[in-house]
Amino acid sequence: MCAMATSSSQSPAVKPNFKTPEGRYKLSYEKTHSPGLHYGHAKAVTQLTVAYLKERHLTTPSVSSSSLSASSSVKMVTQRFLGSANGVKNFAFGGGNTTNKLSGGYNKLTAANLGSGVSNGPAVPSYDGEGTYMIFNVGDTLFISDYNSHDKDPIKAIIFSNGYPICHAFDSESKDGHDLLVGMSSGDVYSVSLRQQLQDPGKKLVAAMHYNKDGTINNSRCTALAWVPQGDGLFVAAHSDGNLYVYDKSKEGSGDASFPPVKEPTQFLVVHARSSKSNPLARWHICQGSINGLAFSADGMFLATVGRDGYLRIFEFKTEQLICGGKSYFGALLCCAWSMDSKYILTGGEDDLVQVWSMEDRTVVAWAEGHNSWVSGVAFDSFWKPPSEGNADGSAYRFGSVGQDTQLLLWDLSMDEIVVPLRRLNPSGSSPRGSNGSGHSNHWDNIQNRSGVLQPPPMRREIPKLSPIVAHRVHVEPLSGLTFTKDAILTVCHEGHVKVWARPDTQEKGADGAKENNSLPTKTGNSQTKR
Amino acid sequence: MGITGSKLEKALGDQFPEGERYFGLENFGNTCYCNSVLQALYFCVPFRDQVLEYGSHNKSVGENDENLLTCLAELFVQINYQKKKTGVIAPKRFVQRVKKQNELFRSYMHQDAHEFLNYLLNDLVDILEKEAKTSANGGTSQNSGIHQEKGANAVSNGYGNGGQTQPIVTWVHKLFQGTLTNETRCLCCETITARDETFLDLSLDIEQNSSITSCLRNFSSTETLNAEDKFFCDKCCSLQEAQKRMKIKVAPQILALHLKRFKYIEQLARYKKLSYRVVFPLELKLCNTADDAPGSEAEYSLFAVVVHVGTGPNHGHYVSLVKSHNHWLFFDDENVEIIDESAVQTFFGSTQEYSNSEHGYILFYERLDQVV
Repeated sequence: MCAMATSSSQSPAVKPNFKTPEGRYKLSYEKTHSPGLHYGHAKAVTQLTVAYLKERHLTTPSVSSSSLSASSSVKMVTQRFLGSANGVKNFAFGGGNTTNKLSGGYNKLTAANLGSGVSNGPAVPSYDGEGTYMIFNVGDTLFISDYNSHDKDPIKAIIFSNGYPICHAFDSESKDGHDLLVGMSSGDVYSVSLRQQLQDPGKKLVAAMHYNKDGTINNSRCTALAWVPQGDGLFVAAHSDGNLYVYDKSKEGSGDASFPPVKEPTQFLVVHARSSKSNPLARWHICQGSINGLAFSADGMFLATVGRDGYLRIFEFKTEQLICGGKSYFGALLCCAWSMDSKYILTGGEDDLVQVWSMEDRTVVAWAEGHNSWVSGVAFDSFWKPPSEGNADGSAYRFGSVGQDTQLLLWDLSMDEIVVPLRRLNPSGSSPRGSNGSGHSNHWDNIQNRSGVLQPPPMRREIPKLSPIVAHRVHVEPLSGLTFTKDAILTVCHEGHVKVWARPDTQEKGADGAKENNSLPTKTGNSQTKR
Repeated sequence: MGITGSKLEKALGDQFPEGERYFGLENFGNTCYCNSVLQALYFCVPFRDQVLEYGSHNKSVGENDENLLTCLAELFVQINYQKKKTGVIAPKRFVQRVKKQNELFRSYMHQDAHEFLNYLLNDLVDILEKEAKTSANGGTSQNSGIHQEKGANAVSNGYGNGGQTQPIVTWVHKLFQGTLTNETRCLCCETITARDETFLDLSLDIEQNSSITSCLRNFSSTETLNAEDKFFCDKCCSLQEAQKRMKIKVAPQILALHLKRFKYIEQLARYKKLSYRVVFPLELKLCNTADDAPGSEAEYSLFAVVVHVGTGPNHGHYVSLVKSHNHWLFFDDENVEIIDESAVQTFFGSTQEYSNSEHGYILFYERLDQVV
């Protein structure tokens, strides 16, 4: 409670450190775009993706199996470049009416990349090896910054002419070249190789696969993207009209890719593409209004979505079934994230709350109250270790949330404190409200009545509340996201500023501490931990 | 103007709601404060229905019987029965009446839309109460549009006691009135003194980068009375330290929230506009209701926003956003446009001074479950 009091008087200075039980977090450095440029930022809120680019196979041929598989795939990528140089259609981006001009330019770029793909590239050879990068969008530009450098300016800017980049995702486990996805305000989606972008000296996206070109399949804004963990190049793209598409990056986007119009906007319905050549492979109509966020569980089994209608929905991805879900206290939900063990899901939304969802209980088990405005980013800290070793079952979690109140809040969740009393109240393990009749089964595979799967909003009095262990105003502008890395917490605001808050135990090591970091970001759910 | 209309009709196509009229209102020189509030109230459907009903019972009023309600009813009837679906109407008689009645609004200066809303609602209450009394005292008309809270009981009581009655509950009360309870807890004897007061709208202090929920929470936060400002406890029979808080005891059907964007700055000895970014959701629940308040979990839906455009309190412009049949419309005096739901967020306010100047000023929420 006392933490909340510090909140939001008119622009007091942001303190460069904050205290937690494990020590003091310090503002290590900031990343931002070049000042002086004026962006139409109202149109696109900055989002941040942390990309862990793995070492290339050629330099160190004898390491892990994943690099070996990467080696075989380089050939494939090269082939595809050659192939697509003939079939320029898939690669030209920037709008149909300028295809001629662009495709000419494109051919040139492709050639440059073919060259650089084999020998170490011309422009920036040092970006060829492993590294950690921060990718963030501001206005019509996608910036890439080196996580290991304290330099404020990005190392690369990619400018789009056909709309604003809205969202992006990176696949650290990618088996062939394309590992970075970019979703546009026009609905267009690109997949590219991050390494190729870094090697190219220009300001345009190079060697891209272009999906939903000019919004032909769906012209509403692409709001969120995610690679399917262990999905062999499958990824999903969510749109502001409540549809989600499943794509395969290894498929050319040809064939009849049209889908029948949505008849019942409130009903969940999956439609597979009529042609086997089509990419997207399927359309999932999820909800009325925008899908605001999505996240896969680390094992790739479950997909969680949140949206304008205020519902969290959890699907079994492979079987395309809606498993469970529930409504916010009120208003839209804006973001969601899984715990590393896929047991809990966080949501944040317009009710100023972080809700903790239990997959086991299939209900909300706690509210994290403390933000003074909408909650725009949530994440579990997968690198955090509980101070005492008492909880052998790993029933303690650390998570963070950021909001439009410009604050970062950290929370400790101890399951014996929260869940146990709740279960005692409801031995059946089902919803404490139970007003929805059919949702009472607490077995995974026993859901018959699909309409009863989604739970109504919780009653305020019935939900256990958490208080933050720290609340710190980290930016001057409303925040849009946070990511935990091994050595820091990264926060990003609407206007394109990224701050790196070094963890207490990593500060002595300085910048080099980050270098050995090849762990995966929690946000993308790509942690190796399996259920 | 005709072009505007057809454009809007084209934009809506066959989705143009049956029987609905979207008319801009002419500006008679700084009367946008009035126009913006009128549009918000017109698209408050239960309010509009009551006004239209009143209008249908009071068709031709003479010059002498004219009041703000008859003028409002005349205007609403005029809009509602237009042959065309879109266009512009001059709310001449209504504006003249406002100016005639209240010298505050007589000048051509920029006026405060919230002050106007407040004045209008209170004046309507006065008119309806007066009419209720007349009809209770043997007046002939059953058509004044009054709905007594406890029906005939209240009326007959009033009749018997010669007009000395329980407070009359007009339909304006039924729509807009809520109750606050002011609880003071003596820190010495722990006795809680509760005092209730009614409201037609709530005025909220605002903070930079906050939400309406947070403003409501602050509205009801606990205040400690001590030092110079002690509380006289009836039980202790002395001045004591106490804790005071204000909670919503009865949630209204229509929740009008006024953001206090015009703040008196003592150092400057004048009012200053706060352009703070205050986010307001399309659906809302009240977090500051008393524990036993009926409908404390009731959900509200945003249906209108009066927006102040400009950087200062003494000048600028008012426009309104209105939700009608699941479409959002933008009313700027004569002009009416359809806008996307997502455009509502461009009126939250600004994180830096002077960066944009269109700020949500009065929010109108309607309760989704009907009060029985």
